[in-house]
Amino acid sequence: MDYVVPVILILVLVYGLIKRVNVYDSFVLGAKKSFDLSLSVFPYLAAMFIMVNCLRASGLDVYIIRFISPPFKLLGVPSEVVELMLLRPFSGSGSLAILTDVYKQYGVDSYVGRCASVIMGSSETVFYVASVYFAGTRVKRTGFAIPIALFCNLVGGVAACLLCKVL
Amino acid sequence: MNIVWTAVTVAALIALTITNPQSILTVCLDSSAQALKTALELTAVYCLWLGIFRIAEECKLVEKLSKCFTKLNKWLYGNISEVASNYVSLNLASNLLGIGNAATPSAIAAIREVEHDEKLSRFGAMLFVVNATSVQLLPTTVIGLRASLGSASPSDIILPNLIATVITSVIGVALVFIAYGKPKKAN
Repeated sequence: MDYVVPVILILVLVYGLIKRVNVYDSFVLGAKKSFDLSLSVFPYLAAMFIMVNCLRASGLDVYIIRFISPPFKLLGVPSEVVELMLLRPFSGSGSLAILTDVYKQYGVDSYVGRCASVIMGSSETVFYVASVYFAGTRVKRTGFAIPIALFCNLVGGVAACLLCKVL
Repeated sequence: MNIVWTAVTVAALIALTITNPQSILTVCLDSSAQALKTALELTAVYCLWLGIFRIAEECKLVEKLSKCFTKLNKWLYGNISEVASNYVSLNLASNLLGIGNAATPSAIAAIREVEHDEKLSRFGAMLFVVNATSVQLLPTTVIGLRASLGSASPSDIILPNLIATVITSVIGVALVFIAYGKPKKAN
């Protein structure tokens, strides 16, 4: 798997050369667009990070987690990983920090640790991705897109906890 | 998003004002700095992949890739322009190969190509859900973290992870079909 990226890079460059494309100019032309793209994403990221970090700093998140833990337990999700599932849609780096905490506190190879691993691997930072995708477009109303993705995160989390029990 | 963001932020700010008012400015500025850092990191990633994609476009590699996925794209998205179909194929290929970094710029390009209204169309919803639930063959970040913390078998989560992502992909795509119906056949 370590070879996927290098092979793709070499393949595209060499193929471009064979097809007599000006590889260097094309690369620069494409790369030029990267700055505009991330510049349009930046304010959305800032808004997202401010919300998440204020929430964590205020300690309100602990109460929210305590409040929603019981229904998650009914679905078979241990309360130790609820915080991870809750923060996951908002922040990739934040949820990675929580995952590390879970590993250190409960052990990497424990049931909880494995649950957390699969939850992390099978879910997506939905709100983060939405802000990145729709930044710079006129899209304001995203309809069912975010609810469906969030629901899939939930299903993935529940499935993760079940699968870790049997596998 | 407007209501959720404002409500959560105001609630958190009130709680912070009561418990630790002097930390508010630090937290907010740290967050903006974190956003700036992330945006710069994204620039580096986009720079590489947008450059490579441009070469692949000019030597018609993307067109060939797109032809391989024609049927799947038709089924998922209906009739879309050739340009959109190219981006969507790049996006799918990146996801399948586990290069999430490369998937993002192609998805953004596809969305900018197709979405011109305030309301997200079926196309954008499907693309978003496909990306948010994409099948993961190798969750490299998680495996790396497990290994660094001394797991006995860091990779034994690959199978449950694969199954879980297949489940979410199937459900996600099915839900888009339920919510938006089948894609329109004619343009």
